Amino acid sequence: MKKTFLINDLIWIGISVLVCYGGLKLGFGSFHQPRPGFMPFLSGLILGLLALIDLISGLINHWPTEKRDREIWANINWPKLILTLGLLSLYTFLFSTIGFVTGTVLLLLFLFRAMEPRPWWVVITAAMITTAFFYLGFKVGLDSQLPKGFLGL
Amino acid sequence: MDLINHLFLGFSVALQPMNLFYCFLGVLIGTLVGVLPGLGPVAAMSLLLPATFHTTPVASIIMLAGIYYGAMYGGSTTSILVNIPGEAASVMTCLDGYQMARKGRAGPALGISAFGSFIAGSLGIFGLILIAPPLVDFALKFGPPEYFSLMVLGLMILTFLTSVSMIRSLMMAALGLVLGTIGLDNISGMARFTFNIPELLDGVGLVPLVMGLFGISEVLLNIELKVKREIFTTKLKGLLPTLEDWARSIWSILRGTVLGFFLGILPGGGAVIASFVSYAIERRVSRHPEEFGKGAIEGVAAPEAANNSAAQGAFIPLLTLGIPSNVVMAMLLGALIIHGVTPGPLLLMQHPQLFWGVVASMYVGNAMLLALNLPLIGMWVQLLKIPYSILFPVIILFCLLGSYSINNSTTDMAIMLVCGVIGYLMKKLSLEAAPLVLAFVLGPMLETALRQALIKSKGSFAIFFTRPISATCLIIAIALIIMPLLPWFRRRRPGATLEREDVT
Repeated sequence: MKKTFLINDLIWIGISVLVCYGGLKLGFGSFHQPRPGFMPFLSGLILGLLALIDLISGLINHWPTEKRDREIWANINWPKLILTLGLLSLYTFLFSTIGFVTGTVLLLLFLFRAMEPRPWWVVITAAMITTAFFYLGFKVGLDSQLPKGFLGL
Repeated sequence: MDLINHLFLGFSVALQPMNLFYCFLGVLIGTLVGVLPGLGPVAAMSLLLPATFHTTPVASIIMLAGIYYGAMYGGSTTSILVNIPGEAASVMTCLDGYQMARKGRAGPALGISAFGSFIAGSLGIFGLILIAPPLVDFALKFGPPEYFSLMVLGLMILTFLTSVSMIRSLMMAALGLVLGTIGLDNISGMARFTFNIPELLDGVGLVPLVMGLFGISEVLLNIELKVKREIFTTKLKGLLPTLEDWARSIWSILRGTVLGFFLGILPGGGAVIASFVSYAIERRVSRHPEEFGKGAIEGVAAPEAANNSAAQGAFIPLLTLGIPSNVVMAMLLGALIIHGVTPGPLLLMQHPQLFWGVVASMYVGNAMLLALNLPLIGMWVQLLKIPYSILFPVIILFCLLGSYSINNSTTDMAIMLVCGVIGYLMKKLSLEAAPLVLAFVLGPMLETALRQALIKSKGSFAIFFTRPISATCLIIAIALIIMPLLPWFRRRRPGATLEREDVT
């Protein structure tokens, strides 16, 4: 089964149904007097119809081969990918609490070290320099309100 | 005579020390992001948008424009030396540029790329000067139906030209329209799809969306690659192309310039498409088509010229109609609005110093780029030697902090991450992000124009077909949908050509 592409189209159809429902709840109005739900409903409807056409044409003959389907997921370095996304989510979630300096140094330590094994002193130096560079650029240069966090840094 | 006066005004603005500085900064940053794979002009412009709040509108647009056309120059360096396009518009330069480098002709490849870009950029600006003012008079006749139809046409052209599967590309455009409706309704002020998240009342931010879809997704894709970059360590020499090189390239440059300029003007067109189409045309008209892909200098000159003149042409719809023709122009639209300048037909009358100042600065910027690119190629090469394992955390951090700094909101960071994952999956499934972003930007304008037109016509869709400009746009848009259904055309559609190029 060419599962990936089938699931993909089904997801888009599901999203379109939700958007159309949301549009109707907001109020479609009429063509004479369109209301806020008018555009979401129309866009959702177009999305659903196109996904349906893609699904039908794929079922008939246009979908990539099973081999291509497998290839899509074959080369993924799952541990690295999940680690990276996990770290980025954690950084985003804790950014205001632990502050820019502490959070960024920790994030960079993990990312520099996780991607390629390097001596710790190299990783620590690189993380500190990069954080300082970003602090200068964003805090001093762009006047961004970077959070200080519980350490006050 | 008027034109000379306007140009004089433009240069008097562009040559002011502050504007010169911002122009230099823009082209320098543009070249840098063009050289570095994974960080394109869109991400760089998103990052620097907040920085422009502190300066004048003219200086900020000069800098942001400089980043765009600067990236077109810089992108060729990585294509030629590393076989990795620094940004999407330089993909075609890889094919022959890298082969030239392998044959020891990296110098002339880089040289013709820089000179070709300069010639094309300069001619593109000339075209902009000639075409923009008359187009403004024409644009004053536009009402909501015309704006709606023109935006629909832009979306159709983009999906028609760029995508391997037009249906999927249209799906992404529809998704972009849906995302564009998030936030307060322009007409009634009602909140839509905000899920009680206050940050969503203003809608999904363009910066987090673009950085996620283009920046983070690219990094995530690169994580799984185990390709080791091969950079030429030999000393680069002979950057000036020989007379034979010039003889072979000059017509390619001129053809690429004209083609790129007009593809740049088209809403939905742009530098990427221009470079693909110009390469295909050069191979078709060449007396030695068998040399293409093996180090033909025309294969470097034409796409480089095309992407640079397209970058200039793309300013025309934005500055005259207020419609961004691609994602980069959408960023510029955002910057203009932030500075209280409304792009459109009245821009030329209300802010002539901005219009002509930006146009003149492009010429100054192109001259700066020529000076930057040839002597500093060695420095750009050194930058390429930074390992990706060091580079990618830095790019990620740029994206995270760039998203945060717009509103000082971690919600924007979270939105960017979600968009990054979506963008990654989209790339895996060959779904195009460009139509999504363009539809997202045009969506609110398109909705307002549609609703105003329908209210005006008392609910009749005939208004779109009884007005000549609107009808013409819609008929072309409909033709673009129907054409791929014809078996003869399906094989010859530009998207299909791109697919074949991709495979080979």
